[in-house]
Amino acid sequence: MKQKLKTSVIGSYPIYIDTLDVIKDYFSEQQTSWTKYIEQAVHDMTSAGINLVSDGQTRDPFIQLFTRNLRGCRVRARTEILGPVQYTGPITEPDQRYAKRLLPRNTKLIGVLTGPYTLMKSSVDFFYYDEKQLAFDFAVALRNEAELLLKHVDLISVDEPFFSNEFPDYAKEMIGTITKGLSRPTRLHVCGDVSRIIPQLVDMPVDILSHEFKASPYLFDVFREYSCVKKMCIGAVRSDDVIVETVEEIVTHVKKAITIFGKNVVQIAPDCGQRMLPRDIAFRKLQNLVKAGEIINGG
Amino acid sequence: MFSFTKEQKVFDISGISVGGQPGMYPTVLFGGLFFKGEPDFDDAKRHLQTMYDLSKQTGTPVIPDFFIRKVEYIQPIIAFIEKVIPTKHPFSIDVIEPSIKIETLGLLAERKLLSRTIYNSIHIGITKEETEALQKYTPEMVIVVAFNPKDKSPDGKIEVLENGAHLIECGLLELVRKIGIQKLLVDTAALAPGENSGAAIAALPVIKEEYGFPAGCAIHNVVEKSRWLNDFPFAKKTVDVASNNTIPLFGGDFAIFGPIENVALVVPLIAWQDILVSEYTENYFGVSPIASHPRRKLLK
Repeated sequence: MKQKLKTSVIGSYPIYIDTLDVIKDYFSEQQTSWTKYIEQAVHDMTSAGINLVSDGQTRDPFIQLFTRNLRGCRVRARTEILGPVQYTGPITEPDQRYAKRLLPRNTKLIGVLTGPYTLMKSSVDFFYYDEKQLAFDFAVALRNEAELLLKHVDLISVDEPFFSNEFPDYAKEMIGTITKGLSRPTRLHVCGDVSRIIPQLVDMPVDILSHEFKASPYLFDVFREYSCVKKMCIGAVRSDDVIVETVEEIVTHVKKAITIFGKNVVQIAPDCGQRMLPRDIAFRKLQNLVKAGEIINGG
Repeated sequence: MFSFTKEQKVFDISGISVGGQPGMYPTVLFGGLFFKGEPDFDDAKRHLQTMYDLSKQTGTPVIPDFFIRKVEYIQPIIAFIEKVIPTKHPFSIDVIEPSIKIETLGLLAERKLLSRTIYNSIHIGITKEETEALQKYTPEMVIVVAFNPKDKSPDGKIEVLENGAHLIECGLLELVRKIGIQKLLVDTAALAPGENSGAAIAALPVIKEEYGFPAGCAIHNVVEKSRWLNDFPFAKKTVDVASNNTIPLFGGDFAIFGPIENVALVVPLIAWQDILVSEYTENYFGVSPIASHPRRKLLK
């Protein structure tokens, strides 16, 4: 059986922001430009040979990246909710549009959205006092952004790490608010221990599920207990460990995934966003991921 | 006009007090010298004398702000400070390059001038070496520039003070604490028209209400960047000087008003504005001005 899996990232990539350069721009009354940081992130991912890249989410941590640009949110030490959450215009779309211009032929772009539940749980609510309503208003805003991204990206990926801590009974409807009827494939990334919520995850209105199988290999055994017909993105290198996995180690790991999910293994990726890793380590992990993917696909 | 619910801090340096409730202490003015680079000491001496005379006449405190653009200017500028600035008067040094900052701190320490030094400034561009130099040679007071490239609103300025907007390891306030500096002034980081230029002024009461720290900015920079004003050269000078009025009007404590050449216009203007603020805040909030306030000095 010949596998046709793609190599992918989850979202963030570690790029050093030269704050001295930024402040010199301020003192010389120049506007701060972020394009060089996007270029560095995209360059690393494409140089490593990754098939599905992101813009690196260099501009902000994944919460502030969205809440900073939504009406009703105020970002100080944390995001605070002061009024109804509403979409007012492009959030990540300008960076995605720029990233798209940098891609070699056949390299695809992922539109990464931080999930509404994670945004809600990461905010201090001074307005709604109703978690569900706040989460759904985030979802509606993200749907607007997703529709805008469709022009530029090849996959919409929703990042919901908080699902592994706490899974709301309205999760399916909430995620569906974002993904329903989108003209691109969709992916739901939930890192952490998802062993308690697998039945719910396999029922999510997305095309691909993505989990951190490398840091949590026991997930293979738990998934084995369920009939999962979803396509899978397999976390194959750790995002929380500076040790670079060997190609052989990754191949063995992915082969194990294939014994469980078969042809549904369509992507291999880091376990999570790579923001916390040193850049050279993140890059070498991606390189080995790509080499492992080539071996699997050629085998 | 404002009175803040948060207790307001007042910091002293060599006899000049900055901060407090609006109407209590006069607005402190920083006049810039050597912005263009090469120092003209004769010219500077003349302007400094004018500045001190005006301050004595009005009660408006003034502080010279020395730009140091090159390493070779460090020694002569500091020698000039030692020679010309009255020995019990503060001054600020305004440097961008970290290497020049570090060398300047060393020389200020050697000449025993750090107790009169306002360090302009600490911001997100601080380097590890600069931090270490500040720990070793700690100035009496520091200006913290609350510039946040991600968010130019007052909230963004609070974000960079709180957590460095995730661009540096910690917030600027924590950084200042770690260095061991107790006296700080928050510069609300004026930006060009089109970049939320009004936010620097709007942030003054926000910062004061949030932290109680003295706050101010170099709002005249916005005027310099208002290119359309070049069609109105006569008005441009007036607008440049008058822009400083917005600082005390919004509760701010200090104005970095640009070239010292403007001092003869700015000092009386700010004295006038301070009197206006003081009359109201005393009548409405019961905040009395200190004895040296322009209202006490000029309204007999």
